[in-house]
Amino acid sequence: MKPSVWLPPLLVTALFLVCWEIFGHLPMGRVKVVPPVSAIAMDIIHNHQLLLRAMLHTLTEAMVGFAAGAAFGFLMGVLFAEVRILERMFFPVFIISQTIPVVAFGALVVIWFGNGMLSKVVIAFYLTFFPVTVHTHRGLLSVEQQRIDLLRSFAASRWTLFWRLRLPFALPTIMTSLILGSSLSLVGAIVGEWFGDTKGLGIMLVQAMYVENMVRLWSIIVACGVIGVGLYAVLRFVQTRWIWWGNET
Amino acid sequence: MIARASYPLLGLLIIAAIWEGSIRFFDIPPFVLPPLGQIAERIWTGRSEMIAGLSATLYEAGTGYVIGVAIGLLLAIAVSLSSLAERSVMPLFIAINSVPIVAYVPVSFVAFGLGAASKIAMVALTVGFTVFLSAVQGLKSVDPSAVNLLRSFGAGQMRIIWMFSLPAAMPIIVSGLRVSIVRAMIVAIVAEMLGAYDGLGRIIYEATQQVDFLRTWAAIAVASLASLVIYGVFVWCDRRLVWWK
Amino acid sequence: MASRPSDRPIIELSNVSKTFGDGQRTVVAIENVNLDIQPGEFVTLIGPSGCGKSTLFNIVAGLLDAEGSIRFGGKPHNGCDLLGKVAFMPQKDLLLPWRRVIDNAILPLQVEGMSRRQARAMADELFGEFGLAGFENHYPHQLSGGMRQRVALMRTFLFKRDLMLLDEPFGALDALTRMMMQRWLLDIWQRHNRTILFITHDVDEAIFLGDRVVVMTARPGSIKINRKIDLGRPRGAEITTSREFLEIKKELLAAVEEESMKSFRIAQQVP
Repeated sequence: MKPSVWLPPLLVTALFLVCWEIFGHLPMGRVKVVPPVSAIAMDIIHNHQLLLRAMLHTLTEAMVGFAAGAAFGFLMGVLFAEVRILERMFFPVFIISQTIPVVAFGALVVIWFGNGMLSKVVIAFYLTFFPVTVHTHRGLLSVEQQRIDLLRSFAASRWTLFWRLRLPFALPTIMTSLILGSSLSLVGAIVGEWFGDTKGLGIMLVQAMYVENMVRLWSIIVACGVIGVGLYAVLRFVQTRWIWWGNET
Repeated sequence: MIARASYPLLGLLIIAAIWEGSIRFFDIPPFVLPPLGQIAERIWTGRSEMIAGLSATLYEAGTGYVIGVAIGLLLAIAVSLSSLAERSVMPLFIAINSVPIVAYVPVSFVAFGLGAASKIAMVALTVGFTVFLSAVQGLKSVDPSAVNLLRSFGAGQMRIIWMFSLPAAMPIIVSGLRVSIVRAMIVAIVAEMLGAYDGLGRIIYEATQQVDFLRTWAAIAVASLASLVIYGVFVWCDRRLVWWK
Repeated sequence: MASRPSDRPIIELSNVSKTFGDGQRTVVAIENVNLDIQPGEFVTLIGPSGCGKSTLFNIVAGLLDAEGSIRFGGKPHNGCDLLGKVAFMPQKDLLLPWRRVIDNAILPLQVEGMSRRQARAMADELFGEFGLAGFENHYPHQLSGGMRQRVALMRTFLFKRDLMLLDEPFGALDALTRMMMQRWLLDIWQRHNRTILFITHDVDEAIFLGDRVVVMTARPGSIKINRKIDLGRPRGAEITTSREFLEIKKELLAAVEEESMKSFRIAQQVP
């Protein structure tokens, strides 16, 4: 890559970090909400094992829920797209239900499924499956009629239509929802941990908040960001490598 | 028209029937799945509490939303004025945005306290980012040949943005505004659940801790209905505002 | 194919009609269409826009049901029985963006259940003839418009059916590419001995390609003229400026223009 491509963002990011550092050293009130970057970096280096363990814990919760939610959402989307009567009766309800702040069930779910991993998996699951269902349904039905007609003129069966035409057409849209779902599943796992857990990034956030350990709080935020960026990068890679024909991003 | 609306209604009835039926059939205890009638009743008996909670949540979500939209739009316009600015700051913004938004909630609490201010800040952050990203995307997607045409008429950059780019980007921006409504409510409630003096989120959390599940369900139902109504009003306005879509 | 008695039409439409909509708002798309096509014949169909050409096509392809009688290969058929019996090529190339050129071409064979390897082997030998040698493993977005149309045509050819339906296959191409493609299509057609029904709204194209030009009326569409073109074959570009060609063109243009004016007036009446 040419320097003109990577130099400006690098400079801006460096400038941002320098400003943050200077700001962090200014004398503030009782608690330094924004500690210097260097202090955060030192904290991360010294406690990297603790952080890594918590990251792994939270990531596992999020990913198990994400995988189950994506699979279930996909099946629901296919069902809505293929069975007209189900679509007409339940899809409007389904769309409307997306406005429900489902995370609010988090506290309930923790009571039902206990303090362990299962409750976070359940939260990550239902946060993921909503968008995946909606996008799968939309993707499968977005194929132009002409394309369907062409395959029908080859005497294609419904299964062939689905497998060779509708599904590949829907994949870019489904991929978009997977990227969305992956970040939601992470939110689900973190929020779930607030309401009861012993390890994981979410509970560490709350603990650091109670003792007003701002340096630690920012270290955990960085850890959350690393997971977020990592998930996004992996899914983006899959998208550009294998599902590159979409017009949606 | 009647026939088209009757299907979702039928669907709703079936869901309600499954809800009520499974409570009776599987003998589900009311603390897991309370009967719908009881939830409605609980909302009514606790109406003063619910209204107080709802108005607190709406105040936080609404104020944060307005601040977030203003900041997001202004930033997007500023950034799209020059491609160098856009290329320079976008990676930083995307990095900040890739942190799950809820992770910032504790910082907001320490900075702004447990009152409404911390929730407003969180909502503004969420909405600001959503609007910013959709506006940048929308402004980038406008037809460059149309921009060139306007430039050939001697139009300046601000005039082009005001007369052409913004209206052309409107459909994408509006969809960002729409998504932001739901997010604003969710973030306000979630932040309240972690700590607050007031609001639906606090009722939900408190009731869950006191094992008063009917109250939890009632508060969630109120929150859902409120989101739904606001969302519906927005969609209704949207159809009138962006008529060329 | 040569063994088939050529006196029996491959497809016979008699009094075929199609009405869309129900209740008070109905549109008669085509009415009492009568058309026979002989094996090996190249029939071109022209008519004003909106005259029901595409409807007729969809009926013959088996995508739409219709009233009236359709005999295919001597046997009566109705509607969807024809699915899979006719090679159909729509206006747009409709190539699948995630499939390589060769995999797009063999799509109908795979739909029929042939293995990918076998189908690829069958397609391989056609690439030279279709001017696509060396592009087997490209993706559609890497090809020019003319090449994409040739891939689509190859896909139609590989679906080996006696009757081929081509719906304005060259409509989106520039004039020069279109000329080249027309000559090339005639070449392929003669070598492979197929029957073609070809829609166009370009009178020159219709005369240049067809053994017979069929002109449709304004909506509701029916057959207005069934004109035999007795220009010799093979036809070269110079034929389009010959006296016979121009006379036929004059006659057909007058007919097409008359119907276009009608459909224009119909369109104006609609509030």
